[in-house]
Amino acid sequence: MEAIMEKLKILADSAKYDVSCSTSGVGRRNNGRIGNAHAAGICHSWSADGRCISLLKVLFTNKCAYDCEYCINRRSNDFPRASFEPDEIARLTIEFYRRNYIEGLFLSSAVEKSPDYTAERILEALRLLRYKYGFAGYIHAKIIPGVSQEILHQIGLVADRLSVNIEMPNSESLALFAPQKKPKQIFAPMRQITNTLIERNSLVGPGTMFKGKDINSPENYLGVQQISSETKSFRALSTNAGRETFAPAGQTTQMIIGAGGESDKNILTTSENLYHAFKMKRVYYSAYIPVVKSDILPDISTAPPLAREHRIYQADWLLRFYGFSVGELFNSGDENLDPDLDPKVTWALRNLDKFPIEVNKAPYEMLLRIPGVGAVSAKRIVRQRRVSAVKFDDLKKMGVVVKRAKYFITCVGRYYGERRFEPDTIKNSILQMENGLQLSMFDNNWKALEAGARQEKLSAAGVI
Amino acid sequence: MDYLYDGTFEGLLTCVHHHYYTEKADGIFTKGVYQPSLLNGYMEVETDEMKATTVYEAIEKKISTYDLRRIYRVFLSSDSDKEMKILRYLVLGFRKGSAVSMLHGDPVVYDIESLEKKVGREKERMLQFVRFSVMANDVLYARIEPDHDVVELTAHHFCDRYRNDPFIIHDVKRNKALVAFQGQWYISHFEDRDIPDVSADEKEYRRLWKNYFDNIAIKERTNPRCQKNFMPVRYWKNLTEVNFS
Repeated sequence: MEAIMEKLKILADSAKYDVSCSTSGVGRRNNGRIGNAHAAGICHSWSADGRCISLLKVLFTNKCAYDCEYCINRRSNDFPRASFEPDEIARLTIEFYRRNYIEGLFLSSAVEKSPDYTAERILEALRLLRYKYGFAGYIHAKIIPGVSQEILHQIGLVADRLSVNIEMPNSESLALFAPQKKPKQIFAPMRQITNTLIERNSLVGPGTMFKGKDINSPENYLGVQQISSETKSFRALSTNAGRETFAPAGQTTQMIIGAGGESDKNILTTSENLYHAFKMKRVYYSAYIPVVKSDILPDISTAPPLAREHRIYQADWLLRFYGFSVGELFNSGDENLDPDLDPKVTWALRNLDKFPIEVNKAPYEMLLRIPGVGAVSAKRIVRQRRVSAVKFDDLKKMGVVVKRAKYFITCVGRYYGERRFEPDTIKNSILQMENGLQLSMFDNNWKALEAGARQEKLSAAGVI
Repeated sequence: MDYLYDGTFEGLLTCVHHHYYTEKADGIFTKGVYQPSLLNGYMEVETDEMKATTVYEAIEKKISTYDLRRIYRVFLSSDSDKEMKILRYLVLGFRKGSAVSMLHGDPVVYDIESLEKKVGREKERMLQFVRFSVMANDVLYARIEPDHDVVELTAHHFCDRYRNDPFIIHDVKRNKALVAFQGQWYISHFEDRDIPDVSADEKEYRRLWKNYFDNIAIKERTNPRCQKNFMPVRYWKNLTEVNFS
């Protein structure tokens, strides 16, 4: 037990910089001996940093052959190393799961020897868990860039969600910070996963609303032309291909914010491309936390850009659920999001000619664009106005954030906001309301926001 | 007229019947906690299976099954005025039919919606925060103290999940427990003296979990307020990871 304790300590410590911990996207009754999957996902605990714990998130090993600049497990870092045995991981997962500590397993790994060697070990652990222990709960498997098609396919058959880390928003940063990882190695597995899902007709989720892009056409991501010729997805010679499921919860990826010099626009453009082409469930962002000394990275005492990460997450939500495009979020030459206001309000203030919107008449798509109205409240508005007019007092009960929405709507013909319908007036009122005090409008740095009460909102990464 | 009933769902449905066929209700209370007021007289409503069934079927037929389930969930809440809120909702429902759940702006509907949300939330929290211990006889045992009486709502989820493990979820506040095995479950009276002994390696797994919990946090991002937002302190009492020492 002591040996396991030591390994868990080291390998959880190494895994904690992986952002994703979601368990949503697949609903499944118990089809093994123990476990099921709750479609909405369940978080079981929240650690001291406010990020949720829903999966046992560990590395298989942190003995790494690569030397990525930003990574705590890089070869040249002097750091305690450990490896699990496949059965140890499976046992630990089952014992934690029985006690309702976790929803399942998130297994990632450093690259020991070669990508294929590491992936085979991961596959062995996952198969033990599924078949020997009859585990029917959630499994998220990290795919090591450069893994062979056959092993990737086999992992997809036992895991619920797959993810390949894109790491950096563009190829220059990737070449600089992670020289051993090649864009081609990252995109080939992403493409294979999406192709397999399309083939099996099991692609679901927000990524699918972006139509009209052919994944197999030569595309220009991260400046790489024509990824590879063998783009046909690999199909195993399995006899029961009809019944088995391949990664029912789809695929995600993650990138680091603030390590290189990318702008918010670069980052979100990359995300948009990922959603369009690979129909990703999600792109995760992680504010860069200096964990190792490096000459080319931000200084080790730099605070992680949490506020920036938060704004990028908000913009990401607008892309996936609110029908916005990156082009709309950035116009007039801005490269970064406004640190003071959320991107939806910023967009609304720039497009005041579209407002105020009459909530009883506007189509659903326009309701979604009102700051303070979300998908749930927009649907409620549409539902209620079929039977009776929506009055201003009703909005709050429907879940609309009235103090923000009131500047942008009319209700049964009446406007409830400021007397002057001008961007600056509205912006000032919203800032006052959000901070309880007048923020200087010219104070455009992140620092102003990093201190104080708004911190608690900042961990969007922890929410789902 | 104030109604006094026995605190069961059938009792409440009987009250609804009386509201229509005898004198109108100004307040509905459980027998134990009622304080007579000077304004209203009171009467004891005896739970009547026939009347309850009539109302039950009328709700299904004239309003909807959805609303029937909804008021049952609201009934499980610990709100002090839940009986009158349910009655007002049903009165409105019998007038409007199944459209009643669409009237989000109506205060009567809003009351029910917000109570239902609270109960649903509490149930979700139980799915999150129940922490089982493996006992000596391989039974899983968990203690909970929910604000609302939601233990039976968790049965479906856990029965499926732990199909081959017998388990007990003990509501310490209400001295009752959900006892389940192989997909079958029942609610029974349960007290501390009924708790089985813990198994030998249970402590080790608690320690492993606590260790994992402490290690997975990123120190540079420490944010206790965010943590407590998602995991209110009132639940910490029964959480292994914060209590283990």
